[in-house]
Amino acid sequence: MQSTREIKQRIRSITSIKQITRAMEMVAASRLKRVESRVLASRAYTEKMHMVLSHLVSSVEGTHPWFTEKEQKVPIVTVLLITADKGLCGAYNNNIIQKTLRFIRAQTDKKVKLILIGRKGYLYFSKGEYAHMIEKYVPESVEKIGYSQVQELAVQLIKGYEESEFGELQVFFTKFHTVMQSFATSMRLLPIERDIFESKEQPGGEYIFEPSAAQILNNLFPKFIETRLYQCLLESLTSEYAARRVAMIAATENAGEMIDELVSSYNKARQSAITKELLEVVSGAEALVHR
Amino acid sequence: MAKTFTFEIITPERVVYSEHVQSVSADGTEGSFGVLADHAPLITGLKTGILTVRDSNNKTIRFAIDGGFFEVMANNVVVLTDACVTEGEIDVEKVRAEKVLAEKTLSSGESAEEKQKAQAALRRANTWLGLVNK
Repeated sequence: MQSTREIKQRIRSITSIKQITRAMEMVAASRLKRVESRVLASRAYTEKMHMVLSHLVSSVEGTHPWFTEKEQKVPIVTVLLITADKGLCGAYNNNIIQKTLRFIRAQTDKKVKLILIGRKGYLYFSKGEYAHMIEKYVPESVEKIGYSQVQELAVQLIKGYEESEFGELQVFFTKFHTVMQSFATSMRLLPIERDIFESKEQPGGEYIFEPSAAQILNNLFPKFIETRLYQCLLESLTSEYAARRVAMIAATENAGEMIDELVSSYNKARQSAITKELLEVVSGAEALVHR
Repeated sequence: MAKTFTFEIITPERVVYSEHVQSVSADGTEGSFGVLADHAPLITGLKTGILTVRDSNNKTIRFAIDGGFFEVMANNVVVLTDACVTEGEIDVEKVRAEKVLAEKTLSSGESAEEKQKAQAALRRANTWLGLVNK
């Protein structure tokens, strides 16, 4: 059995761990709250834009270069992976990295280029056999990336697509559902699938377009890509904080349980030490009496 | 009272405004226009400029918006824009600083891309200031 002193020391160290995980949990909770409102606002924007585009696409004759399947002609896939900068958030990073890996392994006849946002993904891919695929790493912390930076990235990506540097763009991110639930998801950003614009509601009457519908479409599409990319980023960020919060709650709870156990074994150790001492005194006294 | 319709201004960062209003006037890419209730369906681009709203209490509210799109659909009007501020929100000092920076880049900038960006920033700063100075 451990001595009471050792147990006491362990209790102390676990108590301070518990304090730390508890603080991290609260930090994650407050950040989650902030970013959650951002993700909801951005969802509203994305949905509205999607709606406007659906109306627009159904009134435009013919096709747009961004609908056509360029991937057959240019067998290069760009994979954009969004991970966290830090760990301690459960399986969050691992889930999305594994999903990306499966996708990369499945691309036997295509070349893959990687664009990474988030330090964890970079650390993972820069060491393994896929290091040569890394095309770009966005070193800013995910949290600090604002809309204007997403815009810049989107512009670069669109340019790359138009100049046939790649034929397909896939984004791997984590979709936020609830605090307890989020899903590692992939989404094709380019070329755009026409199906997603099949509008359920029929537009009530013909639209007036100023300028022409095709021209508005040309202006709106880059915006749409930007918005979707921004949305992916926010979803990932929210999921990250949610995952971290859940992980830290679990850690705090575990620490609590461990402390309880240690306290009880400390008490036992103390008790048995006292008993032992008593026995010694008593047997010493007895020996004196019977002499 | 005049008939009203729902009007929303949405940016990627937030829903700026969402109310019943009587009329909206804005700078479209093809010229200024106004919208009242029961307007025909319309989709148009917007210039960086000032958008004026008359709400259901006959109050006039002005917004500075940074480009975007305008959709009218069955008495639902939606404005999608990159950025939008109201009169009360503008940080004049900050906008002035941005303006100075944009002007500097414009006169000394290297690439055409940079100049284009500065031009856009300048236009935005001017619009923002225009909202406060009237």
